[in-house]
Amino acid sequence: MSEAALSGALPHRRRLGEALGGWLLSLPAALSFLLLLLLPTLAAVAMAFTDFELGLWPPAWIGLENFEEMWADRGFRQSFRNTVVYVGLVAPASVLLGLGLALLIEAGARGRAFFRAVFFLPVVSLTVAMAAAWQYLLHPTIGPLNAALRVLGVASPPAWLSSSDWVLLSLASIGVWEQAGFNMVLFMAGLTAIPRELREAASVDGVHSAFARFRLVTWPLLGPTTLFVVTITLIRSVRVFDTVAVLTRGGPNKASEVLLYTMYTEGFTFLRLGYSAAITLVFLVIVLALMLVQTRLLDRRVHYG
Amino acid sequence: MLTRRSLPLIGGALALPGLARAQGAVEITVHYAQPVIFKESYDALAAAFARREPNIRINWITTPNYEEGMQLILRQAATNLTVDLSYQGFNRLRLFAERGIAQDVMPLLRAEGDPAAMGYSPNILALAHFGGFQSGLAYAASNPIMYYNADLVRRAGGNPDAMPTSWDGVFELSRRIKALGGGTEGFWYAWPGDDWMFSALLFGHGGRMLTEDERDVAFAGPEGLGALRLLDRMVKEGGMPNLARDAAQQAFAAGRLGMFFWTTAALRGTMQQVGRNFELRTTVMPVIDPVRGRLPTGGAAGMLIARDPAKREAAWKFLRFSTSAEGTTLMVQNTGYVPTNQLAIDDPRWLGEFYRQNPLFQAATRQANIMIPWYAFPGANSVRVTQTMVDQQARIVEQRATPEQVLADMAAEVRRLLPRPRG
Repeated sequence: MSEAALSGALPHRRRLGEALGGWLLSLPAALSFLLLLLLPTLAAVAMAFTDFELGLWPPAWIGLENFEEMWADRGFRQSFRNTVVYVGLVAPASVLLGLGLALLIEAGARGRAFFRAVFFLPVVSLTVAMAAAWQYLLHPTIGPLNAALRVLGVASPPAWLSSSDWVLLSLASIGVWEQAGFNMVLFMAGLTAIPRELREAASVDGVHSAFARFRLVTWPLLGPTTLFVVTITLIRSVRVFDTVAVLTRGGPNKASEVLLYTMYTEGFTFLRLGYSAAITLVFLVIVLALMLVQTRLLDRRVHYG
Repeated sequence: MLTRRSLPLIGGALALPGLARAQGAVEITVHYAQPVIFKESYDALAAAFARREPNIRINWITTPNYEEGMQLILRQAATNLTVDLSYQGFNRLRLFAERGIAQDVMPLLRAEGDPAAMGYSPNILALAHFGGFQSGLAYAASNPIMYYNADLVRRAGGNPDAMPTSWDGVFELSRRIKALGGGTEGFWYAWPGDDWMFSALLFGHGGRMLTEDERDVAFAGPEGLGALRLLDRMVKEGGMPNLARDAAQQAFAAGRLGMFFWTTAALRGTMQQVGRNFELRTTVMPVIDPVRGRLPTGGAAGMLIARDPAKREAAWKFLRFSTSAEGTTLMVQNTGYVPTNQLAIDDPRWLGEFYRQNPLFQAATRQANIMIPWYAFPGANSVRVTQTMVDQQARIVEQRATPEQVLADMAAEVRRLLPRPRG
């Protein structure tokens, strides 16, 4: 009898206890998420609608004025345009280069680990330190690149980082160099997940050229990996900041000004935190939109599992 | 990045804390920027000060540059101030004065006697007079000078003992240095960064940034046009390359750049970079207008923040000491800046020997008589204005616009950023 009573009460109590335990266990994570992520984000969102300036108290609620100013601001528009150009250059180039490298290394018989390490080095090295190396490489007068160009007969090689024609292209090349290795590793992981039998089966079925095998078997199966790589590359390139801050400071005449750098100078050099928060909000919307578009549009077409 | 360290100023106070407390020891926090340039000077000052005021203990806070120093103080103003005395760039002082953070030190100075008799001449006081009151005391002053590579000058047929004193002469020599080939460049003028080097060209023509009442720009006239035309000629006639400042410094240190026009504050760093690569020399800036021409003053001023009476008095004592003839002598010997106390400037007993032994440091002092304050723009957009001016100059250096176009655009953009009269 006592057994019957117990079996009746226990599941209920146990379920309650489990739920409570679950809540307790996730409490630290939930709390830190709330305190460290959600609240600051909401504070930044609120700040975007004020004229908050460091050192001037209290800030006033100014509604959409920051966004109106942004719309009319030559600097912001230029910075937005530059970011789009930068992403447009870096994302496709580094995805394709990453894929190419991954395929070559996978196909190669020798030196796999060596090449993998070489191309992955830029990812693990510190961008700021690497920027100093790039500064030397691209130096207009004492840099090896221009010295080589002069030997090849180019009379006045470009000032890579201080000419407004070249600066974005130079920064984009550094961006590609930085990201291609990361993409390569992701693609290699994707490649190893493709069963060798499928390619062999295609061979047996009469697909003889390597390119056709890639197009018919490898590429479709890499779908989920590609989706992930494209998304992460887009987001990583929108976030470009270090190289700009170290190498060009947005110059000359805003030719290399990008969103995050504008946000930084407005907030911390010009002290206009409200306006800076408004730019942050735009940045946040872009990143979220990218993620949404990517997953929504491509999700259906890339699943084979 | 912030480094915090406290100097055990007095062994006695540490060994006998009870005694020190009994005598009313005060602890103050002092901030300064650019320890790379200034650390040795503050260390020397702290040691000398500890002997005079054994009951004042100083905690030091440094920031790598002026900008982060400004952010630090402004952040603290929003929360709770712990810094009692802060050394900030001249051009930022106005911002602190307008935000009610810097205090007027004139009453404190007057209480000690006649400021001029203590070496605070009107010119020196003017360097840190912002927002309508004496918002600080000048600690270290600098002006732009010419650095040059004597070896390159010789190879190009110039005379390193008689460098050109006009811009025409500089352009001529620059062309000859560039003609040496191999990627060698003639000269570079440090126009990017901020408005400081532009003011050297503007003040050199006898111009000024804003009108007396600060309601409108004053650089849009002949002096401003002269300044921008000179920048244009630097590129056209002098063959000035399009370099970022770091790149120019590296090229100079590598012996690939003949002349380099920048602040004397960079002297120590440049000497270290150059090492024994070539013979480094310095001289005064080329003269633009011999009568009306002036030069802007860079550097730092100490600004009093402490409200607590005891801390305020202690912080004032250190500020006063750091800008006295003795203090400024220590500063000059350890940095290469221009002294900011008239007594130390007039009496060779303080620095005469130092300048005899360090001739490179003389260039800046030789033009100290035409130094005027670095102009700081009013209102919330003060820093933004300077960026606008740099951006506009880039159009000339890249030869994308004429000086006339740039002057008109620069004036329009700066007008937009000036505070509008309220009401």
